[in-house]
Amino acid sequence: MSMINREVAWRIFAEEFNRSTLETGGTEERSPSYVVTPLGAKVNRVYVVGVLTETENIGTPAEPMWRARVTDPTGTYFISAGQYQPGVATALANLEPPTFVAVVGKANTYKPDEETTLVNLRGELITEVSEKQRDYWILESAKSLKRRLEAISEAANMDEVSVEELVDLGYDANLADGIKKAMDHYGPPSFEKYWRMIEDSLRYILPEYERKTEEPQEKSEDEEDIEEEILKVIEELEDMAEHDNGVEYEKVMNKVMDSENIGQDKFEEAVNSLRSSGKVYEPVLGNLKIIA
Amino acid sequence: MNEKNELAPHIEDITRALNEKVSKEQIEEELHNYIDIYGVPLGTAKRAIVKKHEGDPQKLFNSAEKRIEDITGDERSLNLKARIVSINDKEIEVDNEPKSIQYGILGDETGTVSFTAWEKLPIDVEKGDTVGIQNAYANTWNDQAQVNIGTKSTVKHLDDDDVPRFESKVQPCDLKDIREGMRNLSITGRLLSVEKKTVNTKNGEKDLFSGVIADETGKAQFSAWHDFGLETDDVIRVEGGYVRSWRGVPQLSFDDNADVEFLDDDVVPKAEDLKEINILSISELAKRGGAVDAVIDAVMIDIKSGSGLIFRCPECSRVIQKGACRVHGKVDGEPDLRIKGILDDGTGALTVIANRELTEEVLGYDMEKAMDIARDNMNQDVIKDEIEEKLIAQPMKATGNVTSDDYGLMLIANDLNTKTVDVEEEARKLLDEVRV
Repeated sequence: MSMINREVAWRIFAEEFNRSTLETGGTEERSPSYVVTPLGAKVNRVYVVGVLTETENIGTPAEPMWRARVTDPTGTYFISAGQYQPGVATALANLEPPTFVAVVGKANTYKPDEETTLVNLRGELITEVSEKQRDYWILESAKSLKRRLEAISEAANMDEVSVEELVDLGYDANLADGIKKAMDHYGPPSFEKYWRMIEDSLRYILPEYERKTEEPQEKSEDEEDIEEEILKVIEELEDMAEHDNGVEYEKVMNKVMDSENIGQDKFEEAVNSLRSSGKVYEPVLGNLKIIA
Repeated sequence: MNEKNELAPHIEDITRALNEKVSKEQIEEELHNYIDIYGVPLGTAKRAIVKKHEGDPQKLFNSAEKRIEDITGDERSLNLKARIVSINDKEIEVDNEPKSIQYGILGDETGTVSFTAWEKLPIDVEKGDTVGIQNAYANTWNDQAQVNIGTKSTVKHLDDDDVPRFESKVQPCDLKDIREGMRNLSITGRLLSVEKKTVNTKNGEKDLFSGVIADETGKAQFSAWHDFGLETDDVIRVEGGYVRSWRGVPQLSFDDNADVEFLDDDVVPKAEDLKEINILSISELAKRGGAVDAVIDAVMIDIKSGSGLIFRCPECSRVIQKGACRVHGKVDGEPDLRIKGILDDGTGALTVIANRELTEEVLGYDMEKAMDIARDNMNQDVIKDEIEEKLIAQPMKATGNVTSDDYGLMLIANDLNTKTVDVEEEARKLLDEVRV
């Protein structure tokens, strides 16, 4: 049939989504592309409800490029919204973290270098919600994860992963196809980790359990190296600059991501850390400058 | 590339066209050479091989008789012996000229297939007759093969015992599994409603008895083209029903070719227990193409433009933009309220449409008040904003008929409510399940 159904919005925990390094296009012309997660979700669109922890405009007021972080009990979603997502960009400009938000976004991959594939969401919609709605999302995501875990466990027991056999077992053809792709690309996942993720996330919304929040880890040597490298790059670029408004964020990012062989999220983390420890600041939007 | 057994029938065709003067092995090798080595299309390859051995390529099309279960739907020349299971006349219009065609069902001991005779058959045939058909062709419609009898086809009567008598296989089927194009079904269900209508058909006025039939698995609209004396709440078994679809939704139809049996009341659950039978995932709905009286549990993840306070053209009810109708120009728009949203349940997404009454329920006030609010704000979008605030990211329960077209699935809501979920209760249940 020629019917084009809207792409489903996956409920998926950040940890599973962020581990994805495989992107697959459809076979037909103009068919959408999908991020395939280690558990075989073929994700074009995501629906996530979590805590908005940071917003930042790395563009200009005229051409905004908003970035935001939304965390769930397992990790952080990276959200972006530029001039082509005006609704989301405006909303991000007005939202005050921390707050509960629901986000609908398109799964997006980018490659900071040849070997690395990172994922984020290009926002389609963001709105403030209540804690109740967040809890319901965790429940839905846990159910969805359970379904995938069961399916991929079946697949892992097959001599050769067969889409037909999975469909015969009652799994959706689309999921079966995703699982085959995931098994080919990632191999069998860490089942224990994901079963524990279901349990932990459910406990998170039940009052009888104490919430386990991850303590921020001690900074590793790697992270200190990255911060030093960032300071060095900013200094170099500042020397070449003809003004003292700092240097472009993007330039610094590209250089550091290159030299340290790291992804954008690592870079952003390091910049944020430098910023909160008072070593760099933004004299104008989108520029970084060392605090002398 | 080509599996051996896939090529087998074509090797047969070529050998036959060459009066078997060339060995099958040789033909197989040549065909393999053409297709797999040189990538020549199958039809061209077959022709070329026959010509090469000085045969007449036309003979390729004189294929042997096929059994009905073997018809694939791409036969360009098809010969078969069959019994007429049903035959009907139909008037169609071709280039503004009326034309009589015939359609019905052919059967043999292997199965049944529907057919269309694009010219009235040269001989009189009736239900139960045996016929030999030469040079017909087959195509597929809705994934089902069908036989076409055209001007180049010949049809002749056969002796009755040329085609074995067969029990026409009635397929018992659950209502959730009916799909367009199915026929000869046996359906058992309860009539939730029956309505008599008189409709105009090409053959004059006809009485149509239609309504909703349900079993434990689902519901469907039905149309009975014969007065079987059906009444609401009857439990019936229809043998010989077929499935047509309307806007993507499969419907059960049956006529005087079908047998209707009235069954005991306890064969199918009571009407009130069938009410919520149609709780469906959206992926299931997409597979079916739609459903009657479906119940959906999903989250509202978008409210589309054209929601909230809108104005319609008094002439044609189209929604007008900036006081002008696309067809009737400047008009005095009539206010209306509606919601066009996206419901997504994690398995799929559909568009939901809610009318004025349902929108008023969502807003908690009526249209007059909505007009006042819009006037005070000098902006009608505030009503849409309010709907967004109330519904986006809310788990909802929606009921209504689901249809599909090129733009996907659409649910016309009879009911649209935010759902209250006991999240903790469900979380505990799930936690117990995964800990085992």
